[in-house]
Amino acid sequence: MVAGCDSAGHLWAIAAWTSTEPLEADLAQRSTAALKDTVLDKRRIAVAGRDVTFAAEAFSEDGRLSAVVSVEAVPGVRMVNDETRLVPEAKPFVWSAERDVVRVTLGGSSPLPSSKSKLMEAARAALGGVEVADRMNLARGAPQRFDNAALLLLDQIAKLKDGKITLSDNKVTLAGMTRELGGREAIAAALKNLPEGYSVAANEVKAPPYIFQAYKDPVAVTLTLTGYVPDNNVHAALVAAAGRKFFSEKVVDNLKASIGAPSGFAAAVVPALGALSRLSTGTLVVTDREVKLSGDALYEAAAAEIRADLGKEFPQNWQFKPEISVKPAAAPVDATVCQQLFADLLGKARIRFESGKADIVADSAGLLDRLIETALRCPNANIEVAGHTDSDGEEPANLALSEKRAQAVTDYLVKAGLPANRFSRSATAARSRLPAMIPTRARRRTAASISW
Amino acid sequence: MAYLTTFFWGWLLGSLLLGLAMGWISVVQHGQGVSKNLKRWLAALAVIVVAASLSRVVPGRFGYWLDLGLIMFAIYLCGCAVGSWLRDWVVSRSAPAA
Repeated sequence: MVAGCDSAGHLWAIAAWTSTEPLEADLAQRSTAALKDTVLDKRRIAVAGRDVTFAAEAFSEDGRLSAVVSVEAVPGVRMVNDETRLVPEAKPFVWSAERDVVRVTLGGSSPLPSSKSKLMEAARAALGGVEVADRMNLARGAPQRFDNAALLLLDQIAKLKDGKITLSDNKVTLAGMTRELGGREAIAAALKNLPEGYSVAANEVKAPPYIFQAYKDPVAVTLTLTGYVPDNNVHAALVAAAGRKFFSEKVVDNLKASIGAPSGFAAAVVPALGALSRLSTGTLVVTDREVKLSGDALYEAAAAEIRADLGKEFPQNWQFKPEISVKPAAAPVDATVCQQLFADLLGKARIRFESGKADIVADSAGLLDRLIETALRCPNANIEVAGHTDSDGEEPANLALSEKRAQAVTDYLVKAGLPANRFSRSATAARSRLPAMIPTRARRRTAASISW
Repeated sequence: MAYLTTFFWGWLLGSLLLGLAMGWISVVQHGQGVSKNLKRWLAALAVIVVAASLSRVVPGRFGYWLDLGLIMFAIYLCGCAVGSWLRDWVVSRSAPAA
């Protein structure tokens, strides 16, 4: 029997030699399988004999204990060396998505591996082909409904050309440049759907400049409108205003409707178009709230008036940058040529007044400047300003109104720098269809008339 | 234990058969006995080893080898007991009645 002990000892040695590694492999596999449904980070299982060294980072104390118990319950495991700990807590819990030219980088903390993969998938889906880099680590301390908030913010990063969105606890900070006009408004609208408890701490997202341009081409006799308008109503209103103000130019309309216009857009662009109509040639560029008008005024007083007055007509916070020069004066002509030029101009358009009043409407500024420019070319000619009204209403009242309108036009011309003694006024009650310029040689040596 | 039995049934069966064989032959082939003192030392060693195994103080592979050895030795001893009893039973049946 003692001899048998030797044999038993040998048997034991062989069994120990051959079985240890398979046993350890089997226990490692069973332990791993036991943790299959447990959410852990940095999991490591090492088996020596029947003892399991189990290291991992758990996302809650309950989860940590449950994981250890699961490994202890694996059949064959003798002892578990518990080296588990909790995932570090992030305070504040910061998550970020940053977009540059080539990629989107998700950084900061994510509460669970599943959240992390969900965010990565959502980013890839939202960004369609753009490289997404994962720099997120795992941490405890995420605010409630973190996933929902982060997913909504990922949708917003897709609207940015470059920029960064940061979620710090439940405060959202945004900065960057949107890809399209109106992107800022779209993001602001989407942020209203943030989960309860979340708020926007700072939104410094900028949109590409909202640009409207008008170019008055004296050679092609066109007014070309390009850029953006807020909607179809403003579009129609601007084109109509351009048609009234630019009486001889053909309006080429290349405008597109887009959201993102600064407030007071139409209120600024309409008077700016009026100022452009007074230029011989010029360009109007509206960039966000900045209006830049460059070109040649027809005479010095017009240039000064545009420089001084246009900015006052703009809504608050709008800026006006005039670059107005004065067109070189054209060669002087005699009264007959002046008369013909007046007739040409007034054949294309008429000076317009407020209904029933003697107030000249702003749309006539371009025409009046042309008339003044022409009058300046014949300094020796005296000019008769002839006012007409239509035949509606009482004749005495119409005559008085005609007289007032003639006076208003005379005042306008004098204000522009023409000597008052060059003008005489006449008024009729019925609207004249006669040519605009009528020589009055009988009364004056040389004369011309402006009538409407 | 159940896991070890399932995993190593071959080795444990080997120990049992070895014990049976040793028990079978020990009835007719007495070896030299051990002294009383040595018996005490062996008993104390057995108690210490079993206590070490139960208290799991030996870590890792050594702990496993200790457990494995004890189980195999216990089964070997059981085999010895059963083998010697069987041999005794067979011999007493085949002996002519006095």
